[in-house]
Amino acid sequence: MVRTSRDVLELSTSTSASSSSSSPERAPYDDDTDFFTAGRNDSESSIGVSSLREVTMSPSQSRERRVSPISRLPPEILIGVFTKLSSSADLKNCMLVSKTWSRNSVDLLWHRPLCNTWANLQSVTKSIQTPDGYYSYNALVKRLNLSNLNEQISDGTVKPFQMCKRIERLTLTGCIRLTDGGVCSLIYGSKSLLALDITGLDAVTDHTLKAVSENCGRLQGLNITDCSKVTDDSLVAVAENCHFLKRLKLNNCSLVTDDSIMAVAQHCPYMLEIDLHNCRQVTNVSITSLIARGRQLRELRVGHCGLLTDSAFLDLPKNLAFDSLRILDLTACHQLHDEAVEKIIESSPRLRNLVLAKCKEITDRSVLAITKLGKNLHYIHLGHCAQITDGAVVQLVKMCNRIRYIDLACCQRLTDASVKQLATLPKLRRIGLVKCQSITDRSILALAKANAEQRQKPMVASLLERVHLSYCVNLTLQGIHALLNQCPKLTHLSLTGVQAFYLREDLINYCRGAPPEFTEHQRHVFCVFSGDGVNKLRTYLNEIGPDIAYDTEGTMYDDREGDDMDTDQHLPGLMHATGINDDDDDMDEADGGDGSQYELEGEG
Amino acid sequence: MSEPQILKLMSNDNVEIPVDKDVACRSILIKNMMDDIGEQALTEAIPIPNVNEAVLNKVIEWCVHHKNDPTQTNDDDADSRKKTTDIDEWDQKFMQVDQEMLFEIILAANYLDIKALLDVGCKTVANMIKGKSPEEIRKTFNIQNDFTPEEEDQIRRENEWAEDR
Repeated sequence: MVRTSRDVLELSTSTSASSSSSSPERAPYDDDTDFFTAGRNDSESSIGVSSLREVTMSPSQSRERRVSPISRLPPEILIGVFTKLSSSADLKNCMLVSKTWSRNSVDLLWHRPLCNTWANLQSVTKSIQTPDGYYSYNALVKRLNLSNLNEQISDGTVKPFQMCKRIERLTLTGCIRLTDGGVCSLIYGSKSLLALDITGLDAVTDHTLKAVSENCGRLQGLNITDCSKVTDDSLVAVAENCHFLKRLKLNNCSLVTDDSIMAVAQHCPYMLEIDLHNCRQVTNVSITSLIARGRQLRELRVGHCGLLTDSAFLDLPKNLAFDSLRILDLTACHQLHDEAVEKIIESSPRLRNLVLAKCKEITDRSVLAITKLGKNLHYIHLGHCAQITDGAVVQLVKMCNRIRYIDLACCQRLTDASVKQLATLPKLRRIGLVKCQSITDRSILALAKANAEQRQKPMVASLLERVHLSYCVNLTLQGIHALLNQCPKLTHLSLTGVQAFYLREDLINYCRGAPPEFTEHQRHVFCVFSGDGVNKLRTYLNEIGPDIAYDTEGTMYDDREGDDMDTDQHLPGLMHATGINDDDDDMDEADGGDGSQYELEGEG
Repeated sequence: MSEPQILKLMSNDNVEIPVDKDVACRSILIKNMMDDIGEQALTEAIPIPNVNEAVLNKVIEWCVHHKNDPTQTNDDDADSRKKTTDIDEWDQKFMQVDQEMLFEIILAANYLDIKALLDVGCKTVANMIKGKSPEEIRKTFNIQNDFTPEEEDQIRRENEWAEDR
């Protein structure tokens, strides 16, 4: 068979036009992977194509190729080049170069039209609605994200997008004016939908999720955080019809009960991540079932599911290991005891992130069980587990030396002995010791010294980045100054309520502003250095020298006692006033939410 | 360490080029061929019908420099394919060739299935496109504009949103 290379060119153009659609196996939240996959497949298949390249060539074509060497590139390689362009302006310019370039760049440009401003959105919708457009843009849109325009989006705004029936990812986070009417118009007929995020759409009801269950059989990811009107009625239908569900977030969906979760456990065998934060009606039976059946379950978050008791875990089938489970968040499951933790560790030996914050009943026994995770453990949160003592923490550090993140806020029995041991963790990046009031500069100097030693070694990449020391009232400038100088990667340092800092006008200059909802007293004690503020504080302390830096000013001593009392009295109020209910606050009550509890999501 | 095995590649202009086996196996095409035909590949020259001597030498030069690079796992692969046009210094220098050679290298990398080289090639071309107007792009690559002014205008209008952020 003899084909001209021009034929080959045209042929592969038409195939590549449809190839950017993605396969159902793809993870819903991985950004941009489908393009690269498509590019890869194309270039593999192109081996055959390009081998035909030299077979036949008309004189005019060969002349063109001499003049313009780039015209030798087959479409799939041209697409590979365009894939490297991150700016849509560059892609648009490519579309205007020539017909060949246009055909091969339009898919990439319209894959995810940029709706970050109102003007852009208007322009996009206009082109989608144009009946005689140069391309049928509506079929090219695979991702639509309107979260930037949040409150500006109404049911009317999204109507034009009902023509886009090949959307794979629909992100409507925070578009709170949307109702069932608007969302459903996007859902009907969207058989390709893989991921739907309607976080915060309070008006949405079962109607929308029924539509999802009827139309989106390939759905893999669903986030309905804060959609508080949604009930089991529609969620059971979603579980029954969307078997490929892998990621499900139902945070604060207060009407959800065991019925929904049991249905998910029964019908969605591929479930990887499920977040039931604050689904307060959920009980033991559904969580047991979810773990026992979800053999691929990687991440389970049941924070504030206050009805859970030890049985949720003690009733798991015996001698069965849940090897996939990496992340378990049991924040404020306050009825849990050591027995449950022991069972969890025994059956989930590969846990990497474990959050037991505010499981107030647990003791050193739990911590000793956790040490069995050994090097698997990277992230551990034991904030407000006030019964824990130095002995257990020392043992934990010895056994689990790959810990990167540890939070021991309000574990008030802990002393410098714990922190000195923690300082030996070679990979430690974040440490939370808020309100560990016994610790002194000796702890901080140990952290600084260990960090300095680590840095001497080649190949050590991770060093302290975030340090939370609010209400560690005994700390002074000396320790922190050393820490600053030994930790070049430090980007967050919180010292709220530590007198040696918040009373120093000169230091407060480098502190970030207190959250607006804070009272005057909270503002007074607020002291958090972040980002460049940390660097400026370091530079300043180095410039003025230790004599001035550590001068505690004679007047301070008198203030101290009074202020201590003051601080104590105001502490509870201070926590509540952050607006996010004391319970939700993982790290520093006065940090204004540093989002640290979300960062573990990024860890592969 | 064992004695390095040498195999011979035959360019399409009939020049035999001896190459270290490990270097040649940066090419998945050659590696797969070696797996298929085994020792026989060491005795006879392997024809590379799509690539001439100059280009083949250039590609081998790249493979020699990168022979100790870790093999990409799937994760790394996804990472390196992120929309970044960062190219390491040696590769940048390596790619400072005329367009004729640049596109020949890209085609050879594609044919021989050397993903990392193809990637560097695509990034190099992308860098030549970045920030240029359509007319400047046409000039850079000597491409003829086959749009009518009306068509060009229409596309411009319909893609108005695609401006820089």
